[in-house]
Amino acid sequence: MNCIARTETDNPVERDHCVVRMPLGLLGFEQYKSFTLYTRPTEEPFLRLQAVGNPKLAFLVVSPFIAVPEYRPTIPNEDAEFLALQSPEDALVVTIVTVRGPGRATVNLKGPIVLNRHTLTAKQIIPLNAPTFSVAHPLPVRGH
Amino acid sequence: MLILSRKLNESIVIDGRITVKLVRIDGEVIKLGITAPADVPVHRQEVYEEIRLSNEAAAAPNIGPVPKLSAPQRASSAALGLQPLTEMLPAKP
Repeated sequence: MNCIARTETDNPVERDHCVVRMPLGLLGFEQYKSFTLYTRPTEEPFLRLQAVGNPKLAFLVVSPFIAVPEYRPTIPNEDAEFLALQSPEDALVVTIVTVRGPGRATVNLKGPIVLNRHTLTAKQIIPLNAPTFSVAHPLPVRGH
Repeated sequence: MLILSRKLNESIVIDGRITVKLVRIDGEVIKLGITAPADVPVHRQEVYEEIRLSNEAAAAPNIGPVPKLSAPQRASSAALGLQPLTEMLPAKP
């Protein structure tokens, strides 16, 4: 497995710069404030968001633009301030994938995770235009 | 549950740092103005629950076989320059 920020093989959990800080946690998992974001070459473009301190808590995430190229979540100003985003280029957006079975997966477009890619601080936000998005948008995947 | 009566423009204070103000009454809809520190998330309950349940469904001790995107999406994601999402994060020494 590769740490997202580097290409060499390494254990991402032991690398500080691969740890994403989520001061408010994920909705329903507020107690976990740190996650390791990494990818495995065989799993790209999917990434794994692994809770630091709980090996049993992990999420599969992916760029939402793979599901919906025209996806444009409106980030509330308070969230942009919270993440210290100066410009859209500072932000990286990923969305949580739910694997529902062979050939079936959905992404949560209503609660995307926005990262400041310079500080690696992140928050699961609810966009201002959230009512137009689904928590279970189909992701076109093949069966295994 | 604590129940308090409030008139228009009256507030309640929670924990000395969160203020909830009744700012408008419009038929069956009331508008609340909430002032809270940045580390206090405020959500509409039904939206919070929807996303919480989605997160719980997605959370996995073992994610299991990771799906493969079907071919057209793989192509389009590469075309959009999104495949190297990994390269968008800083590679700090």
